[in-house]
Formats: sequence, C-alpha cells, structure tokens
Amino acid sequence: MRLDVDAALFYMGAQAGAPASLRREAASIAQKMEESLSPRYVYRVFPLQWQQGGAYLPEAGLILPGSLARTMLGECSKAALLACTLGAEFDRRLLSLSARDMARAVIWDACGSAYVEAGCDKAQGELAAHFPGQYLTDRFSPGYGDLPLSIQPQLCAALDAQRRIGLHVLDSLLLNPTKSVTAIIGIAGRPQMGRIRGCAHCAFKETCALRKEGKTCAP
Amino acid sequence: MRPDLFHESILLLDGAMGTMLQQQGLAPGGRPELWCLENPEAIRNIHRAYIEAGSRIVYANTFGAYRTKLQGTGHSIEEVVSAAIALAREACAGTGAKVALDMGPLGELLEPLGTLTFEEAYAIFYETASAGARAGADLIVIETIADLYEAKAALLAAKEAADLPVCLTMTFEASGRTFTGCTIPAMAHTLEGLGADAIGLNCSLGPDLLAPLVQELCRHTRLPVIVKPNAGLPDPVTGAYTMGPQAFARALLPCLEAGASIFGGCCGTSPAYIQAVREALLGRQPGARPYVGGGFLTSSLEALPLSGVRVIGERINPTGKKRFQQALLEEDLDYILQVGLAQADAGADILDVNVGYPGVDEAKMLPKVVKKLQSALPLPLQLDSSDPAALEAGLRVYNGKPAVNSVNGDKEALARILPLVKKYGAAVVGLTLDKGGIPATAQDRLAIARRILEAALAQGIPREDLFIDCLTLTVSAQQEQAAETLKALRLVKTELGLKTTLGVSNISFGLPNRGLITRTFLVQALECGLDLPIINPNQGELMDAIAAHRVLSGEDGGCQAYIRRFAQAPQQEKPPETGLTLEEAIMLGFAEEAGRLAKEALEREDSLSLVENRLIPALDQVGEDYEKGIAFLPQLMRAAQAAQAVFEQVRQALAAKGGAPIKKGPIVIATVQGDIHDIGKNIVKTVLENYGYSIIDLGRDVAPERVVEAVLEKEARLVGLSALMTTTLPAMERTIQALKALPQPPKTFVGGAVVTPEYAESMGADYYAKDARQSVEIARKVLG
Repeated sequence: MRLDVDAALFYMGAQAGAPASLRREAASIAQKMEESLSPRYVYRVFPLQWQQGGAYLPEAGLILPGSLARTMLGECSKAALLACTLGAEFDRRLLSLSARDMARAVIWDACGSAYVEAGCDKAQGELAAHFPGQYLTDRFSPGYGDLPLSIQPQLCAALDAQRRIGLHVLDSLLLNPTKSVTAIIGIAGRPQMGRIRGCAHCAFKETCALRKEGKTCAP
Repeated sequence: MRPDLFHESILLLDGAMGTMLQQQGLAPGGRPELWCLENPEAIRNIHRAYIEAGSRIVYANTFGAYRTKLQGTGHSIEEVVSAAIALAREACAGTGAKVALDMGPLGELLEPLGTLTFEEAYAIFYETASAGARAGADLIVIETIADLYEAKAALLAAKEAADLPVCLTMTFEASGRTFTGCTIPAMAHTLEGLGADAIGLNCSLGPDLLAPLVQELCRHTRLPVIVKPNAGLPDPVTGAYTMGPQAFARALLPCLEAGASIFGGCCGTSPAYIQAVREALLGRQPGARPYVGGGFLTSSLEALPLSGVRVIGERINPTGKKRFQQALLEEDLDYILQVGLAQADAGADILDVNVGYPGVDEAKMLPKVVKKLQSALPLPLQLDSSDPAALEAGLRVYNGKPAVNSVNGDKEALARILPLVKKYGAAVVGLTLDKGGIPATAQDRLAIARRILEAALAQGIPREDLFIDCLTLTVSAQQEQAAETLKALRLVKTELGLKTTLGVSNISFGLPNRGLITRTFLVQALECGLDLPIINPNQGELMDAIAAHRVLSGEDGGCQAYIRRFAQAPQQEKPPETGLTLEEAIMLGFAEEAGRLAKEALEREDSLSLVENRLIPALDQVGEDYEKGIAFLPQLMRAAQAAQAVFEQVRQALAAKGGAPIKKGPIVIATVQGDIHDIGKNIVKTVLENYGYSIIDLGRDVAPERVVEAVLEKEARLVGLSALMTTTLPAMERTIQALKALPQPPKTFVGGAVVTPEYAESMGADYYAKDARQSVEIARKVLG
C-alpha cells in the first residue's frame, strides 16, 4: 500500500511550497513506513433503519443521531462500519523517534496520518467491489459535524475491533493505537454526492446545480 | 493439589462460548458473563454439549469477568466467577472433565502504549484468579492476549493467586506477530521462563494459517503446545466464520504433526467442530518436538538467540560518570534513555542496567528505568544490582526474558538470587568468586563455576541460562592474572560447556593507550570462547574488532555485516563546503556544524553573549519563517536540534570554567488526563528547551494531582497543558482549577488541536498558545 507524500506534506503545513530537502526526507520516511507496517482494517455491512433518534443499525445495536448521519445516509438501506489502524508499531516508532530526533518524529507522524487514510481508501475500494451496481457515500467519522464521539465504543464493539485489529477505545473516547480511524460509509442504490471529499470526487461534478452557483453540499 | 492434566498424549478443550451465546440471542455489546446468573441453563447446556462432543477441559464463562468490565452491572466478581465455575462443574459431573477459569484480555492497552500500568493490570487479574481458585477451578487458562506484558501480568497474578496449573494462549496474525508486535520466540521463552504449564495460540486465524506459527512455537518451547483457532477467517461483509467442522479438523493435522498436543476451537466453532476434531485425531500421536536450544534473551517483542558473540553495553552505570550520577539523582530518565539509544545505535545486542548510587532508592529506580528503556528500545536488558529487592522489582516489571547480573559462588548469595532468577524466568551471570574472594588460579575459578552450575540446576534453571564471568583483573596491578582469566574462560567453555561473559575494559586501567590493551585482550578472550563481552560499544575500535572476529569465526556469513559496517555510509543532507555562519548552521538545522562553529566561537566569545546575540536571534528567525509559512514544522524541529548542539558546547565551556549552566524555568508540561497524543507537547518541549528553558515533562495521560505535585516540588511558575480532543478538555479545565487553588498559583498556557483562545479563557488559562513558537513568547513574558 502506498501513502501519498503530498498528503503527508499537507499535514505538516507544507504543500507546493515544501523545500526539496523536506520532500526528499518525507519520501524516504514514507518508504520506511510502507516497508515496516501496513494499515489493518476491518469493516462490516449492516442493514439500516430509520427511527426517531436517527439512523439505526439493529445488528450493531447502534444509533447514529444527528443531521450529518441523516444527510449522508438519507438514501441508504445499508451502511458499513469501518475501523482502520496503523497499530502499536506506529506508536512505538514514534516514541523512539521522539527520543532521538523530533524533526523525523513530526514527519513520521504526518506520514502516519496519510497512511491510515490510504488504509481507509483501500478498505473502501474493497467494500465497493462487494456491491457492484450500488454506490457508496463518502466516509464520515464520529466527531464530524454533529455525529458524537460517544458512539465510538459501540461502533468498535460492533466490529469486534479489539480482537480483529487490536483497536481500543479509551474512557476519554480516544482511539488507541493513536493513528486510527473509525468511519461510516452508506451504501445506496443511486450515485451519492461527494459531500465530504469535495466536488472533485463527486459523481455529479459535471452537472451539479449547487456547484454552478458556486455553492457546495458539504454538511 | 495440582491435577496432572497433561499426561494424556492428546487433550481436547472446548470451542467457542461467545459464538454460541450470540446464536442464542446475546445482544451486541451484552456481557456474556452475566448469563451465568441470568440464564444458567443455557450455559450449562453449552458446557454439556462440548463434553459430549469430547472436551476434557471446559472453559467457564468468565472471559471478561473483571472488576473493570463488571462495573455498573450490579454484580461482583465473586458472584459471577463462582456461578460460572459451579455451572461448568455441574456439567462436568461424572465425566472426569475439568473446569478452567477463563481469563481473556482486559480490553485496555498497557503502558507504554496504553494507559493501564503493569501493576494495575496485575491487580485486576489477581482478583479474578483468586476468585476462581476459591470457587474451585481445576486450572486457569489465560487466552486471546496480544501483548506480552499483559500475558506476564496475568500469568504472575494467576500463579501468585492460586496453586493451580496455568495455560496461556496468545493471538497472532499470519505475519507471526501479535497486534502489539510480539513474536512467537519472544512469547515462548518469556512464558516458559515464568512457569506456564502449557502455552499456545488461539483466535485470530483459522487452523490452516496457524499451522506455520505452531511449528515455530514448537521449535521454541519444551511445554505442551495448545492450538485453539477460529473457524477460518470471517466474511468481511457479514462477519460470519466460514470454515466447516470437517475442514477445520483436517487443517489441525499439520499442527499435530508439528508437535502440538492440546486442541480446541475459538470464534465461530461449536460442539460439532470439537467432535470432528476428536474423530480426526483418534489414534494419532503428536509429532516429534524439534526444540531449538542454545539460550535466548528477549525484549518485549523479539528473542535474541545467544549464538555467536553478543555485545553487552556497559554504559548505563553511574560508576565514574558525573553526568549519569546527576541524571539518577534528578530522575532524568530521558538522559538514561539517550545513553541506551546511543549504545543500541553503536551495535550493542544487550544493555546492562545499573542504577545503584548513594542517595538513589534502587528498588524504586530500577523498575522505572527498565520501563523507560523498554518503551523505546528493542534490546534485551541485563539487570545489574547487588540488592535482591531491586532485582526483584526490576524483574517483575521487565517485559520479556532478561538477564540478572549477578550471583557468585557464595552459598548465601546463591540462595538469595537463584530463586528470583527461576521465578521470573531470567538468565543469570555467575561470578567466579565467593566469600574467599577471587581465586588466583583458573582451576579454582572453574570449581566455583561448577558449584554455581549445580546450584542453578538444582533450582530448575536450565544450563543455557547461566553465563559464567571469570573476572578481569587490572593487568598493570596483577599482570599474571590476565592469562589466568583467559585460561579459566577456556576451561569453563570446554569442561562445563557454559556461556561466558566478561567485563573487558578493566584490564587496561592505569596504562597509557588503554584502547590498545583493551582491544587486544578482547580479541584474546573471544578466541578463548568469550560469548558475551561487556564493553562500551561507543568505542568504535572494540566494535570493529568484534565485527572482524565474527567474520573470522564464520558467524558473519558471507561477511555481510562486516561489509555493511565498513561500506560507505549513505549520503545524508550535508552542509555545503563553503563556510556557513553559526546562525546559518542553526537555521538550516546542521547540528554537527552548528556545534563545531559554536565551539570555535566560544574561544573568542562569552557564552552568554553567544546565546543571547546569536543563538536566540537565529531561532527567532526560523520561528518567524515558520509563522509566515516559509519554513515548516520539521525545519523548526531541526533548527531546535542544531540549537541543542550549540547549548551542549555552551554547557561544556561553562563547566570547564566552573560556571553554572544557563537554565531558565522550570516549566512543567503535560498532556492532560485521558489524552494519549503527545507529539504536540513534545514539539513544544523541544522548542522551549532550545531557548534555554528547563522542562519537567510529565508525559501523557497525566492526572491533575500529578501536575500539582510537580509544580510544588519543582517550584514551577509556568505550566503548559496540551489536549487533542473535546473529550479531554474537561480534564484540562480540572487541572487548571487545581493549580489555581494553590496558594501561589503558577501561570498556565494551553494548546492542542481543539483548544481555541475562547476555550482557553473560559477554562481560566492565563495564555493560549496556538503553536510551539507562541509558547516561547509566553515563556519569555512569564519567566524572562
């Protein structure tokens, strides 16, 4: 799996303006990361119902309250839960680098953010392949918009994430290992708007009325 | 009375409990253990079905029966565990099947990656294990563990809470590692050393993918091996397990051939699987066990085979080292870690750890240092102390299989130290001396070595875990003894076949050109069979000699390591040839060059003016570029590291003149309770340190009380707090309130991804720092 060095530079606050030496170093650290660890992920598809509190996944015992979930999943009959982590090895190397060389530690950290996203992209690609002729929404996560972080424990329990990929939820609702993502992806019968990833990734980018007016559907 | 469970050549365990309960309606997220109270008939029936299918040991329904998981259910551990054991016992009645107390993972990551301490984990396991013993379990099984540290906490707790056999299975990925990175050899050598009765693998994979891992495990342990796999891999879309009972049973046969003898099923299995396994194994015998001897030490992740020469780094030791003594007295664990990292980088295989110094409570310090070193270093450690209490404290918290330095031939010393070595499954250095001192002849040293060997064997310590040290004496004082030491070494090797170790450097004390004598003696000793030289690996010429020896002895196959050592180092970013100014070297982050230029400058310039007029303005310039988006975080960090090299020169120049070090502060910094992301705080620390502030870094997940304690103890006037998530902001606020309640409250500044100036104000913080750069301005305002 490849991680996007531009994305990593973006997380460091540097994009096109990154000096060549920083770009070279980021690329070399990215390569080390790709060689030494892979994102682990687990996903599972659940039937989706609507009830007063919001979207409801009965088999997961999970309610997704709020307007973000309503907007994102409005046209979906199923939703996938996804968890992805770079695991303990990422954290261990971050600890070790922080003791040796903070400059490399911050690059390692930014590369990790790009890499865990790459893992989510891969999982999402696999998921799409299981549902030919159907359409995935953008993925969205607890903590986005009005989707509360408090669903994190149930979401991870529904995926058996601790046993399957070694992902833990702390009492403070943080995920551990630290470089981890949980997300929800809706599965619908018709094309879905790129509400989170933006217009460039949207199925409607050529025809969108909002876009012609210079607006977006981002929640 | 310990039942003899493992005399049968093949032993059948049960299959899944959770899967069965889910089929019978256990709600997602429901606590399976509570079914023992709410639905006892269902549990009893599941046990019965497994026994009828052929299980000889059933796991009581106690997988998550821990204080932490039962909280809020209204039921005590005692209640749940005794009900669970009683149900299993009823199901076993008249069948001869045995009841195991089942202990799964705690569901929280342990330190250093998680927030649960080893001691807390031990206490939770102990409570459940002792409840199981009181309820009458026949044995204890610990299963589905991914972290060797958690496995050790559980195993120690089980053995100390009950006099019952203890089996332990861990869960591995197909890569041969657990989620935390532990390898099979590291697991095997650690758990066998700690006294498990049987060990093995469960969960995560089907039997087909587990087979190669079982083969590896059988090569690394003499204990009975358990295999309890899942029914294949789950379907990614539905989560359902897909391998049927017949295929499951067939796929276990390679595990039997590899030498495993105890079988069962994990997620997705049922009594039908156990019955299929029974039928498939009927009349078969486990394969011969291909155990690899030879001795191993392990870190928390990897096992180090003690074949060939292994270098023990000697630098973590205060003797004769002012800076190290100061670090011990100030409890500067970061410095001690740096000393360890430098030795690891220089090629040490094992690190000796000695923290004995007047004014230092060794029994408290050794476990702290062990934890700190293991958090960032992948090398096995050798715990070096003459204090048995310190050794035990260190052995207890060590994650893996360490060595102990040392015991000697004196009867009392043997009686004090060897039981500890045995209990914690360590290796041990035996010094060839006793009450009478160091014998003058090689033969007498051999006699002591033999005595130590006999005592170790009697204690149950295998011979490969004993390293004999024939003791180096200073050649300028006792010249004939150099040859005697080498002779003793050769005798121990040939007569007893034991591994040997030797502190080498002592040989050259008091002579000019010490390096030459030390290196020559090292080469002679290697030729006499020295396996584990204790040296300073930062002395390149000693490591060169070892690299050469490894070529000549054939240990370095194809001379690969030697060629790597002396091949051209890879190109690094280097400063341009044309002369940089000190300011440029700092701004471009060339630490070595900056240090060199600072040293030159300090011959002409006063150190205070160097710091004030050159170093700080250069750092400020990088800071401004960072704010403008011309320079980025890694460059800011690199400039800070170059500044550190300059500071090091300043410190040395001041020390040479007997002046006090330039240090402002101290500033206490912490990532607040519940928060585990500390890179932001570490960035702030790096920058502040290189502006000359002394930083007390309390780490992450820090309780308000600990911040208050540190502020009082260090009389800090400024405190920096970091939080990443909205959920940890309340902890930040609690910390600020606790500080405000002090008679002389320090100033506080806060930062982190979700912190805003408005939040900062509403929490009562004095300052908001949007980045590391602003923290410097705040520190200047408060502390000057």
